[in-house]
Amino acid sequence: MKISRWLQRLDAYWKKDVALFFGKRFALVIKMVYPMALIAPVAASDIPAQYAAAVVGIVAIMAGTFGAGESLTADLNDGILLRIALTPISPRRIVFEILAVNAALDFVQLLPALLLVYVLNPAPLVWVLAATVAVFATLLAANCIGVFIANFTSSPADVLLYATAILVPLIYLSGFFRNQNPTGVLATVRDLVPFAYANDALKAVFGEAARATPLEVLVYPTLIAALMALGVCLTAPRLLSPRL
Amino acid sequence: MKNHVTLEASNITRRYKSSGRGVTGVSLAVGRSEIVGLVGPNGSGKSTLLRVLSTAIEPDSGTFRVGGADGVKEKRKVRARLGLMLDRPTHYDDLSGRANAYLFARSYGMDEEKADRALAELFDYFDLTPYADDRVKTYSYGMGKKLALIEAIAHGPELLLLDEPSLGLDYTSQLAYQRKVRQLAAEGVAVLLASNQVDEVETLCDRVVFLHRGRVLSVGTPEELVSSLEGVKRIVATLRNPVDYGPVANVAGVERVAPEGRDLVVHCEDRPNVVADVVAGIVAAGGEIADLAVRRPSLADVYLELTGEALRDED
Repeated sequence: MKISRWLQRLDAYWKKDVALFFGKRFALVIKMVYPMALIAPVAASDIPAQYAAAVVGIVAIMAGTFGAGESLTADLNDGILLRIALTPISPRRIVFEILAVNAALDFVQLLPALLLVYVLNPAPLVWVLAATVAVFATLLAANCIGVFIANFTSSPADVLLYATAILVPLIYLSGFFRNQNPTGVLATVRDLVPFAYANDALKAVFGEAARATPLEVLVYPTLIAALMALGVCLTAPRLLSPRL
Repeated sequence: MKNHVTLEASNITRRYKSSGRGVTGVSLAVGRSEIVGLVGPNGSGKSTLLRVLSTAIEPDSGTFRVGGADGVKEKRKVRARLGLMLDRPTHYDDLSGRANAYLFARSYGMDEEKADRALAELFDYFDLTPYADDRVKTYSYGMGKKLALIEAIAHGPELLLLDEPSLGLDYTSQLAYQRKVRQLAAEGVAVLLASNQVDEVETLCDRVVFLHRGRVLSVGTPEELVSSLEGVKRIVATLRNPVDYGPVANVAGVERVAPEGRDLVVHCEDRPNVVADVVAGIVAAGGEIADLAVRRPSLADVYLELTGEALRDED
């Protein structure tokens, strides 16, 4: 079956996002180019590993949070998502599909840039694998934040505002720029932020010693992002009900 | 009521905290193969009631069942039995009409073959086949409405909830839609239709439920309701200028006067010279009459008679 025909056969909700992602060619080019445009110069430069990792991590966080939150509020405002929610599909399944497919599509966007990072900065395979998993967990967690925000506002502009308010402390805690070697409560809280593990893994890929082990990077952010996804899916009935 | 009951709503109350509006103690039933019209002006509670019955919002109190399934406790079962068309069509504009309709058909659990067959037939019926693969953003409002109607009926619902379905449809499409609704009813589908198009309600519906300020005001067949106005004449004067219509109400034999947009609707006794007297009253009030019609009473007149309020708001 040709891809264009496959994209018109929307037999599951998640396929709609895939069809829209690939259906608009100009937008697709922009989506694929901008992570590369931001990450490629960093990957090719010899800036400190800490900052190179921060750029990749922040691109992932922003892509995930703003993408899911804005498109979701737009669909909610338009009423189409509420209409879909009145079909027999479970609201939790709809939200799960939104989360999963958006994280996967964000990952597709980031993958070429990520591969370039790996090519230009050869690292042990275990760290490459850990970084890839952690970046996906970061995207999933960021999408969870975007969907969570959509529970409280119907304005895409507000999503930017609320997301910034939520992300700034999380980025600080993750040690992208400050809080590199936290102790006490800050260290404990950092361990609960999935972005921190992506930061650790990416630092390792860029050649700096990481705080966490590859196994911790593989397991913890995956678990935390899965718990976040579960929590967000539980908000589905509220999220997909009319705002009165 | 024909055969067994498909929709049974009992004492539905849902008030919005912000406005205090909504519905209070609404009970109604729609039988298999029956078309029931829900009629009332803006703010009367039609859309709120449809929201509750579509499971979009929960009632504050009261219960309803669709095909035996509880509307509050068994939402997904109820949703599977519903066909729903909202007043404002909404779609994924960057997808084709066919892709949108297919997504809904599959979401309602239709298999690939059935969905293809049903959609091909409906796109053809509503003359949308040539545009089926165009993006919905290129559709006119009326085409969007027809697509929404296709999405509402393709999966073969037991109960069809339609909110102002013919608004924005051209005349040919309105006839096509009315034929389709009649056909579906003949096949056993129960239809609850919220509309202020009284001509449509009178011709299409087996029974009419009048809603007024969130409560059921009256229920009956269109014939029963209209015949309650026997002996009443309905004069509709289209005015070039707004007037104080108080003096018209003082004309002998005039029972009610209400504005409906640019029209002044006068209900009066069916006595000799009453039309001339009403015209004289309007002219005396300073009204310049652009058009005048003496018509048989309609459901809109029944509503006016019952509530003193016009069905359609003043423009």
